[in-house]
Amino acid sequence: MSFLRTARRHLHRNPLRATKCREFPSSSKNASTIADARNGTSSVNPDEIAHFSRLSQLWWDERGEFGLLHKMNPVRMEFVRQKVLEMQREDGFEAVNEARPLEGLDVLDVGCGGGLLCESLTRLGGNTLGIDASGSNIAIASLHAAADPALSSQSPQKRSGTLSYQHTSAEDLLATRGPKSFDVVCSMEVIEHVDNPRTFLSNCAQLVKPGGHLFLSTIARTPLSYFLTIFAAEQALRLVTPGTHTWSKYINPEEMTDFFLQSDSIPATSEDAARQVSSRPWISRLYGGIPSRTEAEVRGMIYLPWKGEWTLVPRGAPGASVWAEACNYVFWVRRPFE
Amino acid sequence: MLSANKHALRLARHARNVGHTSSRAASTVVPQETDVVIVGGGPAGLALASALSSQPILRNTLKVSLVEASDLDKVRGWAPPSGTYSNRVSSITNASQAFLGEIGAWAHVEEGRTCSMEEIQVWDGLSDARVTFSMQDVLASHLPGMESLPQMARLTENLNLQRALLRHLDSTSAVELFDKVKVQSIQREEREGGGWPLVHLSDGRVLRARLLVGADGFNSPVRSYAGIQSYGWAYDTTAIVATMFHHPRTSFQTPNTTAYQRFLPTGPIAFLPLSPTASSLVWSTKPHLAKALLSSEPGVLASMINAAFRLPEVSLRYLHNLIVDSANTGSPLDAQQLREEISWRERSHSIDSRSAYSLAADTTGVPPVDADALPPLVTDIQPGSAASFPLRFNHADEYIGDGAGARTVLVGDAAHTIHPLAGQGLNMGLGDVEALFHCIQKAVHTGGDIGSRTALLPYARERYFENHIIMAACDKLHKLYSFTSEPIVWARSVGVEVLNELDSVKAALMLNAGSQSSRRGPSRTQLGASFAADGVESLARTMSGVRTLTEGVGNMVGAGVQSILKGLSNSQRP
Repeated sequence: MSFLRTARRHLHRNPLRATKCREFPSSSKNASTIADARNGTSSVNPDEIAHFSRLSQLWWDERGEFGLLHKMNPVRMEFVRQKVLEMQREDGFEAVNEARPLEGLDVLDVGCGGGLLCESLTRLGGNTLGIDASGSNIAIASLHAAADPALSSQSPQKRSGTLSYQHTSAEDLLATRGPKSFDVVCSMEVIEHVDNPRTFLSNCAQLVKPGGHLFLSTIARTPLSYFLTIFAAEQALRLVTPGTHTWSKYINPEEMTDFFLQSDSIPATSEDAARQVSSRPWISRLYGGIPSRTEAEVRGMIYLPWKGEWTLVPRGAPGASVWAEACNYVFWVRRPFE
Repeated sequence: MLSANKHALRLARHARNVGHTSSRAASTVVPQETDVVIVGGGPAGLALASALSSQPILRNTLKVSLVEASDLDKVRGWAPPSGTYSNRVSSITNASQAFLGEIGAWAHVEEGRTCSMEEIQVWDGLSDARVTFSMQDVLASHLPGMESLPQMARLTENLNLQRALLRHLDSTSAVELFDKVKVQSIQREEREGGGWPLVHLSDGRVLRARLLVGADGFNSPVRSYAGIQSYGWAYDTTAIVATMFHHPRTSFQTPNTTAYQRFLPTGPIAFLPLSPTASSLVWSTKPHLAKALLSSEPGVLASMINAAFRLPEVSLRYLHNLIVDSANTGSPLDAQQLREEISWRERSHSIDSRSAYSLAADTTGVPPVDADALPPLVTDIQPGSAASFPLRFNHADEYIGDGAGARTVLVGDAAHTIHPLAGQGLNMGLGDVEALFHCIQKAVHTGGDIGSRTALLPYARERYFENHIIMAACDKLHKLYSFTSEPIVWARSVGVEVLNELDSVKAALMLNAGSQSSRRGPSRTQLGASFAADGVESLARTMSGVRTLTEGVGNMVGAGVQSILKGLSNSQRP
């Protein structure tokens, strides 16, 4: 559990002062100013934020720095779509909405960057809030979304959900919105950049409504991932700016699963305590090391250079945990109903 | 005074510019937000609109508009007298037909006006070496879902297809059709972080396009807006098209379902069956000869068509010169003179007047043994159906726009113009449409932006090399067959005879023609590839002596190599 060690080491570093708030103009949600982050619980790393602010101009250059991320987006969205629809069917929904599976759902994207994922979530019907600790990312994301009539709630031909952006962090949002606020919480390619992944995970998890979904994507800490993401992508091929990733901050799928197996990972709210709702773990048990597909799921994502595309490794592919989930993967976990 | 005026002028200009670019309120027209703007109402544009309106999810998600300069009501109300046919005919491959069926458009095609093509006979004008493609070459059982289509392709008037697509569009009414409206200009919206294309129409409307599709033909304005270069050349060749009437085949013969093509040094002449008594002509030839033929009386054209499929090349050349010279001297040859001239030449070549090679052959009773090797004798040309157009080769450097030309994509002739010798132009366009349709569908499925490069790149990947291979093969074939020197004619005739033996190569060639959907793709592509692989092997064994041919045939076998090329192209294009 080296990520916990790393987390503790960085625990008392300077947290980001997230005070500026910028919302997408057409949003009806009120833009409240965020109070100073509470010391000691921040997972935001100032160096990382400065790094991405420099890159934020390039967020929407599909042939540039974030080209691989643009290509990854459809694959992550495919997983979100599959999982949400699967659970809606599991819950006995009569008619699932194939066109807009997220319709009517409150969706949060933590670490939204330039808004790549947020825009897609909104198009699939989600009432989406994108938050980022970098103000320039929020500016870029808002600017980009403003060009797209499908993302504006004032559009006469409204077919998507609403989209707003806010310059804040997960812990500040938790403080202002309170826990259990979102049906779907996503944080893609973010957790490997934060200093305190345990706190970060806990914050994200607390924001999920009972029965809601938490989606995370990150990179496993394996020799393969060192070779592909640090040596090949950053050093040899320069597909990604050197310094984008820190191998020691990568998190393995089992560590993710472990976190949600422990009942004390996510603190119970005072309200819950008063109602005597027991805080039970989100994953009840493992079956041969794998959680039940209705509780959590790990799926590998592999880049195929000869196709120029990412692909989502099919569920239950033979030996997937060895080869497919050894680098990029998506993780889904569902908060139990109360 | 002068300078003050100048200053004022400059200020005014500046004010106008500011008004134009920075504030919508200042300009009188509010752009209409549109997800897909298709420029061009030809078969490719209409097919894309049709495909997008065929899916409920896409219909509910995307606002699609199609802009066409001509009057689409003319296509809608197209009702030719029975027995007459439009002169623009295409062979719709099974793959294309399957796609049109899937999107629900084929049901609107008037099938009685189409004709199944069950065999193709191709021969060399100099050596008479012949290739026969027939359905036995591609067993229907090898193609899942295609058992119900015993034909190789279906010859269909372009108008019949266009009308069907329009009827399908009218039945869904999901697409906004702007016809009799020209695209006046396409500008890029000025906006920080990259503007969208603004399409200014001649009726004053402005469409703001998330995705701008250029289905606007060879002189594509969308391609110019996107800043996409293209390379190509005009062949020194003109295609004559016409609808030909002839006697029905007798009951001793196979019905009129065979297409014939003879490669003459001046270009190929093709005979495409439409009904028992009507067929369509595509004759590529030298421009001056085409001009002379079209200005002579219809009987001359009919006899020349018959002669072009039958007489030895040396006599054809003589007749060509005769027609051109007499047209130039102002006393054009009449049909009677030409018939006499032809029968004299037949006698000098000792062509038996009862043989199928004679223009005087009797078309009743028991036909001569070689009758199936030739198309029926043309008796008349449908009045007004003879026309011509110049031939070009043109291929855009890219299919999707980038940078200042972002959010644009080219399909059909806007992306590629091809020599019609293989009749693949329309099928390539439909293949483009199918691939683009799947890309859009996939992007909408995952909440993507259909105008983004990420969403469109798979389209370019799937189509570019596929089209390039077909185009290169047709171009090479055109050049290979325009040589008259002995060694090349020998090599080519041996090559074609060899080819005739290689069923696998033919199968690969035929499978490659037309659209290959990515969904149904794997089985079909693999099938084509393995056929071609067999072909390469057999070629290597059989043709060690025929090196000259490998350039031409190599490109045809390229159908199989294309999967390798695809891989290469992908790794080269980050």
